[in-house]
Amino acid sequence: MLKNITLGQYYPGDSIIHRMDPRVKLLATLAYIICVFLFQGLIGWILLTAILIVLTRLSGVPFRMMAKGVRALWPLLAITAFFNLFFTQGEDLWRVGVIHITDAGLHQAVFYALRLVYLIMGSSVMTLTTSPNKLTDGLEKGLSWLSRIGVPVHEIALMMSIALRFIPILGEEAEKIKKAQLARGADFDEGNVIRRALALIPILVPLFVSAFGRAQDLSQAMDARCYHGGEGRTKLHPLVYEKRDRIGYLLIAVMLVVFILLRIRDFPLPF
Amino acid sequence: MTNFVEAKELQYQYQIKDENGEVCRTVDALAGIDLEIAPGEFIAILGANGSGKSTLARHLNALLHPVGGMLYIDGKDASLLENELPIRKAAGMVFQNPDNQLVAGVVEEDVAFGPENIGVPTEEIEKRVEESLKAVGMQSYRFHSPNHLSGGQKQRIAIAGVLAMHPKCIIFDESTAMLDPAGRREVLEAAHERNRKDNVTIIWITHFMEEAAGADRIYVMDAGHIVLTGTPGEVFARGEMLSALGLELPAVTRLAKDLKTTGLPLSDTILKREQLTAELLKTKESFGGFVHGAALPRSGADDMELMDVPAKTDRDQERILLDARKVSFTYGSNSPYQAQALRVVDLQLKKGSFHALIGPTGSGKSTLVQILGGLQKPERGHIFLEGEDIYGQGFSKKKLRSRLGLVFQYPEYQLFETTVLRDVAFGPGNLGFSEEEAREKAIQGLKAAGVEERFWEQSPFELSGGEKRRVAIAGVLAMDPEILIMDEPTAGLDPAGRRSLFSLLTELNKERGITILLVSHSMDDVAECADQITVLQKGEVRLNGSPELIFREKAALEKMNLALPEAAAIAQELSDCGIPIGRDVYTYEGLKKALGRTIC
Repeated sequence: MLKNITLGQYYPGDSIIHRMDPRVKLLATLAYIICVFLFQGLIGWILLTAILIVLTRLSGVPFRMMAKGVRALWPLLAITAFFNLFFTQGEDLWRVGVIHITDAGLHQAVFYALRLVYLIMGSSVMTLTTSPNKLTDGLEKGLSWLSRIGVPVHEIALMMSIALRFIPILGEEAEKIKKAQLARGADFDEGNVIRRALALIPILVPLFVSAFGRAQDLSQAMDARCYHGGEGRTKLHPLVYEKRDRIGYLLIAVMLVVFILLRIRDFPLPF
Repeated sequence: MTNFVEAKELQYQYQIKDENGEVCRTVDALAGIDLEIAPGEFIAILGANGSGKSTLARHLNALLHPVGGMLYIDGKDASLLENELPIRKAAGMVFQNPDNQLVAGVVEEDVAFGPENIGVPTEEIEKRVEESLKAVGMQSYRFHSPNHLSGGQKQRIAIAGVLAMHPKCIIFDESTAMLDPAGRREVLEAAHERNRKDNVTIIWITHFMEEAAGADRIYVMDAGHIVLTGTPGEVFARGEMLSALGLELPAVTRLAKDLKTTGLPLSDTILKREQLTAELLKTKESFGGFVHGAALPRSGADDMELMDVPAKTDRDQERILLDARKVSFTYGSNSPYQAQALRVVDLQLKKGSFHALIGPTGSGKSTLVQILGGLQKPERGHIFLEGEDIYGQGFSKKKLRSRLGLVFQYPEYQLFETTVLRDVAFGPGNLGFSEEEAREKAIQGLKAAGVEERFWEQSPFELSGGEKRRVAIAGVLAMDPEILIMDEPTAGLDPAGRRSLFSLLTELNKERGITILLVSHSMDDVAECADQITVLQKGEVRLNGSPELIFREKAALEKMNLALPEAAAIAQELSDCGIPIGRDVYTYEGLKKALGRTIC
């Protein structure tokens, strides 16, 4: 269930990617996502694969940790592939009544699924190498200009970092409650969709009750440690750009330019 | 003002609101509290659940503000809002639940949270994080995620987070209630060390009297009042009063008191085991020895009596109900957190027995429970329920559920229905009983678990912690199981709650003949009721047998970080000193009887 999602599961390390400023990593992730959907041809795929491999190597995170994130999101992949496969216009490869698969559909299904896999793995380089606190620090500082137009950036950042910390805890708790209800003879696998949805009530009600309890405890603990909003707060690790970060920004710019050029002209895929 | 805490007639009321949000009644949580705590003192505040001790704690660092009376902390008036932050800075707090008080996903960032909030400069925060983690011995975990730490370690991180604010006082609000014995020791020692080395004032709130034994002074609370105060010696001397308040004297103190009434010349209040053995030895000298003289070989019949094991002649007890054969299990295969939880474990549960499964945290107990309960298929090995493999093809899970009840740790977290009765009927309903039958079964379950009838139509969420737990247990009993597996059923309960739960378990076993597997990390818990013990460590069965056999293995147990039950420890220490009471005494009653017979 929830605990398999790598999102928020920080993988401790001291690589150059780990040490990089989260603002750079956030922008890089955004640029990377744009690039994933920008190109269409052969060089684009080779280049993107190379970027992914280099980043993974540099980060020192084992490949299987990233694969885990993909595994957790496979239903999304399957649904995307399904729609691409059956609902794309093109030349029929196969047809039974109204159901048909086209050459363009097959092409789209395969390559969009691949793009999504690249997308998930690329962004997990960021989530695995950036502690939730740093990530929110990056968001907070990177987006601080929004607070001038009344967006509560500090509060949102704090909420995110707390959510990230408690997702695995609540995931484990859901698992525990599920087992307890199974032991009381509950059945989560039988019956139609509605029955199965109703069967989740004995899990969801206790989970919500416990989440509210935890929220109350946590807010008291934060009060007790003198939390009183973002005003006057200092930081253990204030964000300061270093040389590697400037190089990072430069590389992001280069990557974007290259992929925009590839959008305009690239070798077509041989299939 | 020289005192760190100074309270006069401190009052606080909770308002209970009805469904329309109108205040229908107020509860006096604090009804006139007087406190004086000097800087550098180690103070324990004792009280049963609901005595108001947590409300008091929340006043001491300005999370709550007094409704009446006066309260000064660190010389500042706690009723003024502008003193809120200075008071919280001076008096930090460590809460009960280790998970719910850590804010950040990395240890060092969590420790830094407090200093960041009060605007400490960056270089200084860095220094404080390092010092604080060192002070609690957690510096090697600085860059780890708190999610993979033990409960005791998480609490030490919480202490470091408070220390980093350079407080003058730390309040521990039942910070050990959710920990295993090793974790409890860890946290208590860390508190004493801070008190000794840095002269930090400690306010230790608990319902365990043994934790208060090392304090300078104790306040005892009941129903919003302070009913008793003094040094541990003075407070522990009031045994009857304390047990009427739902508290329990440490085993040594209780024993010493009982022995004194039989005429032995012992001191009034004995707090430590060493003191009791020393005084008993002195008694021996002054009386010129004991009646039996040196340790005599005793007859088998005598042994039986001393062991206090009810002689079972029932042939049934030899029938094996649940049989685990060569069970192995690994968690998170192929991940950085891969861990073998169980390694070729055998376990036989005899019909009618009260079997205890003991092991330190992380020994694989909980995994084994899930495997025994049909919730987790073992990697290798089999579980047989009277000869049938429960993971075999064609074995009906419904049949398993109707015969084997499983009560998890903190079972109250599984309650979900609108009324107690409907919640308890959930299990029988799932087994296929009609609504009427399920209701009938639920009523039986509630009666068996000792839930009073006035609670049956209430929402389970409105009950007290102890009642909730009984309701959750009733939910399993309503399914009419022959075998009941319970994982740490007394975790987090106060002494009165523990006592009544254990008498419930004993009753279920003796009167109803339910076979019980009790999972625990506390030897004291199981010594009084189990007739068979299996000790698990690092996923392997280390010891297995009757209690008298297990408790003879003192060295082996200590190596596993499992303490002997207090009574057994006393018995062994005495017999090491030449008092002949036999090494197989392990219950409190057994020890009293043996001592009574040997001396005098």
